[in-house]
Amino acid sequence: MSRKLTVVLLAMLVLVGAMGLKTVVVAHSDGAVIMANGGAPQPPTPFPPTFAKNGGAPQPPTPFPPTQLK
Amino acid sequence: MLGPYEYAIWLLCTILEAGVLVCAFRKNALRRYLLLNVYMAASVVISVARFDILRHYGFTSNEYLYFYYYSDSLLTIALYFALASLYSHIFSELKADYYIRLGTLFLLSATALFSYAVVQQSTSKLVTHFVLELSQNLYFVGLVMTYVLWAAILKMRETRTRLIQLVLSMGVYFSLFAANFAVQNLYHSRSPFFEMLTPLFGCFLPFSWCYAFWKLPEDARITPSRLAVVPR
Repeated sequence: MSRKLTVVLLAMLVLVGAMGLKTVVVAHSDGAVIMANGGAPQPPTPFPPTFAKNGGAPQPPTPFPPTQLK
Repeated sequence: MLGPYEYAIWLLCTILEAGVLVCAFRKNALRRYLLLNVYMAASVVISVARFDILRHYGFTSNEYLYFYYYSDSLLTIALYFALASLYSHIFSELKADYYIRLGTLFLLSATALFSYAVVQQSTSKLVTHFVLELSQNLYFVGLVMTYVLWAAILKMRETRTRLIQLVLSMGVYFSLFAANFAVQNLYHSRSPFFEMLTPLFGCFLPFSWCYAFWKLPEDARITPSRLAVVPR
């Protein structure tokens, strides 16, 4: 049982470390997505930052920030 | 708009990926490193499918966009399992297969749960959000797992050259993309230099695996002291 718990603990540590590393790497990110499989050209992300489409008035901050993709 | 450079790198990368399968087959390593070869085979198939969709619908089409990101998520999961299979090779003498499988599945489930927790507030396109988030998170989990594996190799004084080459190449591959991405974000740079450099990194992994399968025999050994100085 203790071996299984050790495996679970190690897995949790890896996950915490990975998410910490991700936070560091994607700091200052503008919403770009890291893609690392194959040489195919990367299309734009499906969820670009919110942008105003109607009129020329300056855009206020969004009241409900979209979920961070990074 | 895509130019000849992008197509050339894409073609080169796909040829190298197919080359890994050929090298593994010729050197009788196809079954021994099955999950690594499954990942490379999936990369070739998806690369061809991506090209077909790109040719039919165009680079900016929704079809290419969604196929690209969904297939990338599948490839990341395949790469994750390929990395887990390297753990099985390294710890084969400890008879720890069961615990490695348990840890691999638990970590994958935990990453999926975490990703869902991050995107659950999305009101639209929840599945697409989840797929992207999972792909990203699994990529960083793979990066950390590779470093943990490298530490285990040093600690256990692993001597199998081909295995060491496969693990090291994976570590360099993950690190190259992460470092490149971090530098671009840090300087908010989308310069043509980075746009030319990033696809080149994609060729590194198949190239180094080709080398590992073709040049390094399975019974080749290397002394750990030549890899790094480990304090006793």
